[in-house]
Amino acid sequence: MPVAVIFLAWRNLWRQRRRSLTSLGAVAFVVCLSLLYYSIGGAAVNSMYRNLTEGAGQIQLHVADYREVRDVSAGLLRNAAAITEEVRAQAAGASVVGVLDVPGLLIHGERSRAVAVSGRDWPAPLSAAYLRTNPIEGSFVRAGDPTGIVLGRGLARALGAGIGDEVVLYAPGSEGFGAGSFTVIGLVDVLDPVAAARTALLSLAAAQAVAADDAVSRIEVHYPEIRRMQDDVASTETATRLRAALPALSVETWRELSPTLVRILDSLRPVMAIVSVIFFVLAGLLVVNSIYLGMVERIHEFGVLMSLGASGRRVMGLITLESVLLCGAGAALGLAIGLPLVGLMGRGFTIPGLEQYYASFNMDPVFYASIHPSEVLFAVLFALGTGVLAALWPASIASRLEPVEAMRFTA
Amino acid sequence: MSLYRIENLAKRYRSGEVETLALRGVDLTIEEGEFTAVAGPSGSGKSTLLHLMGALDAPSAGEVYLNGTRIDKLGKRAAARMRLENLGFVFQAYNLIPVLTALENAAFVLELRGVGRREREARARQALDDLDMAGYADRRPNQLSGGQQQRVAVARALAAEPKIILADEPTANLDSETGHALIELMRHLNREHGVTFVFSTHDPRLLDSVDRIVRLEDGRVAGEETRVSA
Ligand SMILES: Nc1ncnc2c1ncn2[C@@H]1O[C@H](COP(=O)(O)OP(=O)(O)OP(=O)(O)O)[C@@H](O)[C@H]1O
Ligand SMILES: [Mg+2]
Repeated sequence: MPVAVIFLAWRNLWRQRRRSLTSLGAVAFVVCLSLLYYSIGGAAVNSMYRNLTEGAGQIQLHVADYREVRDVSAGLLRNAAAITEEVRAQAAGASVVGVLDVPGLLIHGERSRAVAVSGRDWPAPLSAAYLRTNPIEGSFVRAGDPTGIVLGRGLARALGAGIGDEVVLYAPGSEGFGAGSFTVIGLVDVLDPVAAARTALLSLAAAQAVAADDAVSRIEVHYPEIRRMQDDVASTETATRLRAALPALSVETWRELSPTLVRILDSLRPVMAIVSVIFFVLAGLLVVNSIYLGMVERIHEFGVLMSLGASGRRVMGLITLESVLLCGAGAALGLAIGLPLVGLMGRGFTIPGLEQYYASFNMDPVFYASIHPSEVLFAVLFALGTGVLAALWPASIASRLEPVEAMRFTA
Repeated sequence: MSLYRIENLAKRYRSGEVETLALRGVDLTIEEGEFTAVAGPSGSGKSTLLHLMGALDAPSAGEVYLNGTRIDKLGKRAAARMRLENLGFVFQAYNLIPVLTALENAAFVLELRGVGRREREARARQALDDLDMAGYADRRPNQLSGGQQQRVAVARALAAEPKIILADEPTANLDSETGHALIELMRHLNREHGVTFVFSTHDPRLLDSVDRIVRLEDGRVAGEETRVSA
């Protein structure tokens, strides 16, 4: 493409600068809007991703066919310490947590409640994340603590227990002592009332002493620093390694644990791409208008060009170039405005109003905008494609002009 | 071999029910180096003849040969190519590209031909110089008078060194003095550089320095005059 032709196209656009700038602005707006739209969509995806993975981990290991197992003790992973070590070895950089759920009765004085006590040791990043959404009064579970128990506030209220009180856990039919006495060391505010009435947290050692020595219900692999779904390459890779290393166990990623939600998540971005195509079609209509008017005004000029020896294809190329330049410049402007905005929002933002709502579901109200490089590329390609398509009709009319008739036009 | 050989050329226009015979059997030859005027009253078919010579339109009957090659039945693409390679055009008015400077306009045909920037600018400058327009190279058409614009249009044709320059009433929008000066410049280029010109006019006062006048009337050649010198 000779530079001179590009200059010619530019000057032709500049000739009707108000009209050109309007179309250019529309394209810039749509590109910018698409970037924001993708990135907010990405934020929603990430928020869902974190809700799925923050509590339960990116990967869970169970005994094989654990969903079919009815008997509690048949569902337990034996040699928990050794397996956990093996998992740690395969999942470098992850927080690996063994969890033992103990179904039983929690008793305080005259009152009792059926609960599933969760025994686990909390690595620092996980306890920090948990306590961010579930504020605590008193202190949290410490690894190896044989006597401390943390209760949901709703459960404590039902039992009439407070910090410092003794509670007894009775777990009949288990392989350990079957019972144990614990001191309430902390109360957590769990916003969901159903969960609040059931939350009871022990250290893993304490739970194992009551229910089953060196056993866990599941092992969770957490990557707490992964905040964006697109950054999560670790879970599939680690899961593959774990399956090879521990073939007798069930190894599931978060995607396999929540297949329905994952299907929704996966369909979000394609849906957004389709919606943004609609934006581009609207902007494209403005571009068509601008290029078409520019063509009609210059029919005489095209007649002259053709008389001098320009082919129809040449004229078509010139008009298409103008349109693509217009849209390309619009895209550049849109990126210049949109990308910094997305970058800013990537550091985390909250949506006023939604904040309360999210908190009530124990969900992190901070969104992290994120855009995939391919989506930036999409936006630019959509813009350039709009340029080509918008030129198609005016350019094909111009290319079929008869030079003599064209020169008679308006002159 | 003649540069142009035109045989029994006819053109019929039809617009609705009305049929106009713009040309009714024109025979004409143009030799290389000639300076020919096609003269005739308005509606006599001058533009039609020049358009057919430029393969800008198809005749209803007859044949047009350029350097022995028939050009009246070319397709659109081939016709454009033929014009680009062989012909220069100057029209009545408004035939410069408004967004380009005089120099860029003069270089435009060369650019269409794919000539490199350095060469086409040198040739365009030379052509502007030949038309006494060197001082206006950077002006846009709207910063030039009508006469200056027409000189740039001639320079554009000239820069491409065509076999012939066809000019359809190049002076029609100019006052008679400016028009006369333009014809004199063209005549000068014809004598000094051997450029072949055919131009049309309905103004008899422009015909003094022309060595060949073809008079059109009602779509027919009504007479020819050849002058030995002017
Ligand atoms: N596209 C057209 N459709 C119908 N009739 C046409 C068309 N073009 C030219 N004519 C007719 O053909 C005849 C010759 O026209 P032409 O333009 O060749 O004349 P001319 O000698 O150039 O006139 P002028 O000096 O006014 O430019 C005229 O009667 C004109 O009305
Ligand atoms: Mg005419």
